[in-house]
Amino acid sequence: MKKWLLILVVSLLVISGLLTSCEKKVKVDESAQVEIEFWHAMSGDRIELIQGAVDKFMAENPNIKVDVQYTGSYNETLNKVKSAYKAGNAPDVFHSYEIGTLGLINSGIISPLDEIAKKFKRTIPWDDFFTPVQSYYKYQGDHYSMPFNSSTPLIFYNKTFFKKAGLDPDNPPKTYEEIRAAAVKLQAAGYKTPVTWNLHSWYFEEMICLQDQPFVNEKNGRSGKLPTEVAFNGEAGVKVLNWWIGMEKDGLFLDVGPGWSNHRAAFGSGEAAIVMSSSSDVNVLTAALTEKGWEMGTGYIPRPEGAKGGVAIGGGSLWMSNNHTPEEELAALKLITYISEDESQIKWHKGTGYFPVRKTAMDQLKSEGWFDDNPNYLTAFNQLLDSPETLNTAGGLLGIFPEAREIVESAIQEMYAGKPVKEGLDEAAAKVNASMAEWNEVIQ
Amino acid sequence: MKQSTFNNKYLPYVLLVPTMAILIIFLFYPAIETFRLSFFKVHPWTGAEKFAGFYNFIKIFSDAEYLRSFALSAVFALVVIAAGLSLSLLVAILLNNKIAGIRFYRTALIWPYALSPAIAGALFNFLFNPANGVMCYFTGVRTWLTNDKTAIIVVIIAAVWKNLGYNIIFYLTALRNVPTAALESASIDGAGAVKKFFYITFAFLSPTTFFLFVMNTIYAYFASFGLIDVLTDGGPAGSTRILIYHLYKDFFVHSKIGYAAAESLVLFTLVVGVTILQFRTTGKKVHYQ
Repeated sequence: MKKWLLILVVSLLVISGLLTSCEKKVKVDESAQVEIEFWHAMSGDRIELIQGAVDKFMAENPNIKVDVQYTGSYNETLNKVKSAYKAGNAPDVFHSYEIGTLGLINSGIISPLDEIAKKFKRTIPWDDFFTPVQSYYKYQGDHYSMPFNSSTPLIFYNKTFFKKAGLDPDNPPKTYEEIRAAAVKLQAAGYKTPVTWNLHSWYFEEMICLQDQPFVNEKNGRSGKLPTEVAFNGEAGVKVLNWWIGMEKDGLFLDVGPGWSNHRAAFGSGEAAIVMSSSSDVNVLTAALTEKGWEMGTGYIPRPEGAKGGVAIGGGSLWMSNNHTPEEELAALKLITYISEDESQIKWHKGTGYFPVRKTAMDQLKSEGWFDDNPNYLTAFNQLLDSPETLNTAGGLLGIFPEAREIVESAIQEMYAGKPVKEGLDEAAAKVNASMAEWNEVIQ
Repeated sequence: MKQSTFNNKYLPYVLLVPTMAILIIFLFYPAIETFRLSFFKVHPWTGAEKFAGFYNFIKIFSDAEYLRSFALSAVFALVVIAAGLSLSLLVAILLNNKIAGIRFYRTALIWPYALSPAIAGALFNFLFNPANGVMCYFTGVRTWLTNDKTAIIVVIIAAVWKNLGYNIIFYLTALRNVPTAALESASIDGAGAVKKFFYITFAFLSPTTFFLFVMNTIYAYFASFGLIDVLTDGGPAGSTRILIYHLYKDFFVHSKIGYAAAESLVLFTLVVGVTILQFRTTGKKVHYQ
């Protein structure tokens, strides 16, 4: 008798288990108390800005408690996520740079955004996101992470110095030739090293996009197959560096090394009149020049005469790690959606210079008259919206992007020291290819 | 007086437990884990492992950049040790004089040791960075850190300076322990200052010198990481990328866990090897009182 009862109970359990697993809809108590963790990589004033947005979110969702942590640079944050994941306590939401995208998609530790949204029957209004923003983070038609802080590189120039050198302060140079010509004039007017930017592969990548050329094969890494070879050592890459290194050789360009402070310092002290930097530097650089009583202008990053491409976005996005309870997943989804919404994006934009990722947020800023008072904030947008929509301007994807960047930067330093551009690029390409092949093997 | 004794057989082991626990968790386990991982290919995210035999070792030793880093580390260590020891001995001798304000000088010359390598790096960056470095202004040369020949020199100067205080303290203590009787009798026998230094003082300093030699080797190979990270990021063009920095990049930036494990095993063997070699060779010549 007892045996029969046991069999009955077990079979009932199995059947009910089967039934629930067949059921697509997930039952989740929306008002349950949940605690989630959110790790981000934004330092300085930005810590407060993010905390402010999260506080607002918690006020609106009193059952959700979010523990926000600044966990160091993007790279440090990802390393912490890795270790935490192995230890079984990865943060529910974490922040990664754009170049981590393909690595994370293949990492096996994340929950794709679209999948989670579908699970909870939530729709994210993707049409409201700027096309270049969502096309960067979209892979094979799916969104894996929530776009958050977005920027592009810009040219910043000192209008006051332009006037002194007899250049038109309202018409920034747009092509390689024009930048060079302006630099020569500025030098003649007494500015010894008129042009500078930090050693960063990002500029090189963007200037290849501007020529509508890919960075890697497999449709710029977006075909669905992992890329196997880089394309940056082609004609477009050589063109960029011939110009860049050429200016350095002729003493028009000051090599300030890597990092993000030296070129800002050279621009702020008046040593350089033209710099390239991230659009998220608008705040910092405007303040630096205003302090000296100089006027600053911004322009699109330069291209060779006649090039038809555009810029890809840089910055970062918010990811959800897997292996969490449905309640936590839903809370994480609500949080990242909230951060991408107008109110939080507008505050973020005004506080940093990163541009809002949504059209409605942009419209609101325009109708407030924000850009009439701050025209330099608009440049990055226009540059992005003027960019044609291609696989190349969507931005290249490769799993070992951080390493590729380092190899490119090392190659550029060798070129500063005299190595021919094509030779340096070919060597760099060979190194990246070898590393990519290994990564492709290990990741599978 | 009666000597107190332990009668409990187990008490010593109980007392050892905390120390052993810390050593096992933070030292032995990671070391063994590293040793094991050097024979695997490791998934950068999930940590999934695949046995690879000597693959990682073959790969790193067929990488021209790693070999270059190997040679660079040796030169770096040699210069840092030689310059560091001779300079600190010189300073210690000067500080051993009885002059007014000697306490102040002593403190001033020893305090750099209290700085963390990252802060020391930031200070040297302040001096040498190409945008607004003070030394760039005074020397008229602004490529100190962006030229692949001078960057390593700046890193060496910073590394020597950073560890100077440590070496000085040891030399100073050793100098004060040189028996004056020996020096006096040498003077009576007609030895000059130079002879007295090399035959007597230096002989008494040999245990300290040997100890510092070993410690500075370890310092040059391991502890200079922070300086390089802040000052040059391993560049320009890899010219300051010593082994420890190469290892850091491979693990923390490139997520090549297998390579990094193999590299740390190589580095470990190297430093242990050098230390044993020092004990076998120089160690025999050391004169202990």
